[in-house]
Amino acid sequence: MNKPISPAISAARSPGLRIRPARIALGVMVIFLLFPLTKNDYWVVNLTQLMVYGIFAMSLSLVWGYGGILCFGHAVYFGMGAYIYTLIVKGMLPGFTGILGTGIMALITAISGVALFAAVIGYFLFYGRLSGPYLGIVTLAMAVIAERIAVDWYYIGGYNGLFSIPPFSIGGYQFIDPLALFYLVLSAAIAVYLLLTHVVKSPFGIILRAIRDNEPRAESFGYNSARHKIITFVIGAAVAALSGVLFAVVTEFVSPTLIGFSLSTEVLIWVALGGKEVILAAFLGALAVRALEAWLSELMAYYWLLFLGIFFVIAVIYFPRGIFGSWLADRYEHRIKGRS
Amino acid sequence: MLNITDLHASYGGSLILQGIDLAVKQGEITAIMGRNGMGKTTLMKTIVGLLPAMSGSIQLDGQMITHLKPHRIAERGVGFVPQGREIFGDFTVFENLKLATLRFPRQKRQIPSALFAYFPILEERKNQRAGSFSGGEQQMLAMARALVTHPKLLLLDEPSEGIQPSIVQEIARILRDINQKTGITIVIVEQNVDMILDLADTCAFLEKGRIVDTCPVDTLRKDESLITRYMAV
Amino acid sequence: MADLIIQILNGLNFVLVLIMVAMGLMIIFGLMNVINMAHGEFFLLGAYTVVVTNQIGLGFWPALVLAPLAVGLIGMFIEYVCIRHLYQRPLDTILATWGVSLAIKQLIIIFFGPAGLTVSPPLPWMISVAGINYPAYRLFIMTVALIIIAFTFYIFLRTDFGLGARAVIANRDMAATLGIDTRRMYRTTFTFGAALAGLAGAVMAPIMSCDPQMGLGFFIPAFLSILVGGTGTLYGVLAGGAIVGGGDSLFSYHYSPVIAQVVIFSLAIVLIRIRPQGLLGARNNE
Repeated sequence: MNKPISPAISAARSPGLRIRPARIALGVMVIFLLFPLTKNDYWVVNLTQLMVYGIFAMSLSLVWGYGGILCFGHAVYFGMGAYIYTLIVKGMLPGFTGILGTGIMALITAISGVALFAAVIGYFLFYGRLSGPYLGIVTLAMAVIAERIAVDWYYIGGYNGLFSIPPFSIGGYQFIDPLALFYLVLSAAIAVYLLLTHVVKSPFGIILRAIRDNEPRAESFGYNSARHKIITFVIGAAVAALSGVLFAVVTEFVSPTLIGFSLSTEVLIWVALGGKEVILAAFLGALAVRALEAWLSELMAYYWLLFLGIFFVIAVIYFPRGIFGSWLADRYEHRIKGRS
Repeated sequence: MLNITDLHASYGGSLILQGIDLAVKQGEITAIMGRNGMGKTTLMKTIVGLLPAMSGSIQLDGQMITHLKPHRIAERGVGFVPQGREIFGDFTVFENLKLATLRFPRQKRQIPSALFAYFPILEERKNQRAGSFSGGEQQMLAMARALVTHPKLLLLDEPSEGIQPSIVQEIARILRDINQKTGITIVIVEQNVDMILDLADTCAFLEKGRIVDTCPVDTLRKDESLITRYMAV
Repeated sequence: MADLIIQILNGLNFVLVLIMVAMGLMIIFGLMNVINMAHGEFFLLGAYTVVVTNQIGLGFWPALVLAPLAVGLIGMFIEYVCIRHLYQRPLDTILATWGVSLAIKQLIIIFFGPAGLTVSPPLPWMISVAGINYPAYRLFIMTVALIIIAFTFYIFLRTDFGLGARAVIANRDMAATLGIDTRRMYRTTFTFGAALAGLAGAVMAPIMSCDPQMGLGFFIPAFLSILVGGTGTLYGVLAGGAIVGGGDSLFSYHYSPVIAQVVIFSLAIVLIRIRPQGLLGARNNE
């Protein structure tokens, strides 16, 4: 299993020089910050959307990669966030008027509503000691049902969804300019990245990994694994809801496809291909697969998904840690080992 | 007939066997003794192929069985009675015994009646659910199950564990009887010193993943200092 | 009254086919620890076998034999190229089989298009008993399903193969040291489970609209049936299938399919909270 040790990795192993991942993340961040300088408007708009998916992918990385919770219905949180936000800013949710109807309050309400929902679901799933495969299928069922509800519910737009969402505004400033939206989403992405890396590196995150790797042993040390999983599930859902809200803000429409099966499984692919055990890798995975999809689905039409499916199977068998993940993981792992 | 050289194996992420060397002679009863956590069960599981050997070799009658799958090792004539017996509690006694014959072609799937001569109780209760048996009866079933296919080597992991002394004596008697009548080679992992002194020909002591001492049981009968050295907690 | 009886028969129809699908899923899961996410697509492939035999003019009946055969072979192939490599990592088999399901679905779209296709029902007459008219073909489906379910029970509870399979389910390692070739058993089982799903798809094709998403519509209730009934027991699948399928039919009839799904799903989740091992499952997965 041991690959020849490259100078970079051996440097990461020595205790004094363990800043590689942070440096890579910083590099990625700088590239994004400076990207608008290229004046390529098409890609600024494109990247804004891709980053929304990237945030969504990061939330699944926490839940799946670190929490070991295989969630086939993560888009439920994304879609719910988008729908709740939209209903509020369009004034369609009774009681949410005045200050409660503003973009910020809608954002907060959407996130906390979804977090609460995830907590309830999590309570049943994790105290029911559902794990691994069972969890996957139950969350899958959740996604399918959520999509059907959205399609059948006339009030929230049914099959067509909801259009012309008013722009997001803070203190009178409206985010309409693509560049403003770009930086709004970018700052959200950075904030989420920092939050999640903090969670992962905190004592909580270390316990979480211990539970993922050996649940009985972690419990024998007195950790309540169900509670840790629920908290992780809720954080992941909240971040997914945030990305859903950002999606509504950026694209100005929501539809049942956001909440259902196909997006749930797509995000799973992004994260698996990127690398579920490294938050940055999940983010990059989402961007790479989506960008590739935009390019190849025109070229290959239906064959794109066939190709993606087969490629995914191969990746699961031969690169279980993902494409970017294998590349970044060694560095993270030695950090963790150095700490414990 | 069983030759193990420099065997390394790990279990649960830590290296348990660190260079086992052991030669078991044809037709003998060899006991492996040692304190808990020294790797006795890991050694058994590695021999039968349930755990992979990381390095070293296991030979049965001069043939390598080191990296064979468990069912192939069973085919070569190794019968295994695991720790805790692991009988199929939901199955009848007959079904438990029948399982061992499934690898044969259909017409050869008989349970030899000679087997019931050693374990008469099993014939009486052929159609009873094995889960309803007492510990000692389950142990006999597990032994019978391992013997159905006439193996040349029988491995037993802690057969006396949790069983009342009178039955332990009976189990020892049956094992000796089978050994004398059929010439089967037996390797037995055991903590029960009396049972070993009563039953075995040779005794090997396992400590920290290595065989540290081997001697005939006669020597132990005269001088128990080795036992105190390797077994006392 | 007549209306109610027809609804009950329709519900029974769904339940029996569901049990057929769920049994395959359960056997594969119990034996191999593999959740076969492509199981719905095996159903789908069975249904499209009927589409093909119809299109090339063979009609429905050959598909009844061809579907389980073809889908069984496909299952065997998938076990060989994909699942075989993942027995040490059971969680990853979910992802891999899910990738397989995506690819199969897409292949169907490439060959047949995304739209629903209908197949003319093979026994297009009604049977009337005591003033109630009921489609003959639906009665045929029920008969086939009953025979297959009984056959599966026979195989697993009465034959030597079944004894070995149940031993592997109960204690994989011990079965292996008794000389049972677990890998070969996995392959046989996976093939058998796939063939069951294929046959279920074939018999259902004439009364459904065949579209690429139809597999999912059976996979999820089939899985919920296992969850409700408990894993590792064929009787559990019967109970689970009856509850999930029956409940679904009942609520769909009284309210709407969506409400039925929500109710069944919520009930399943609450049940798991109260009784994690399912109604009839006693064994805890170690």
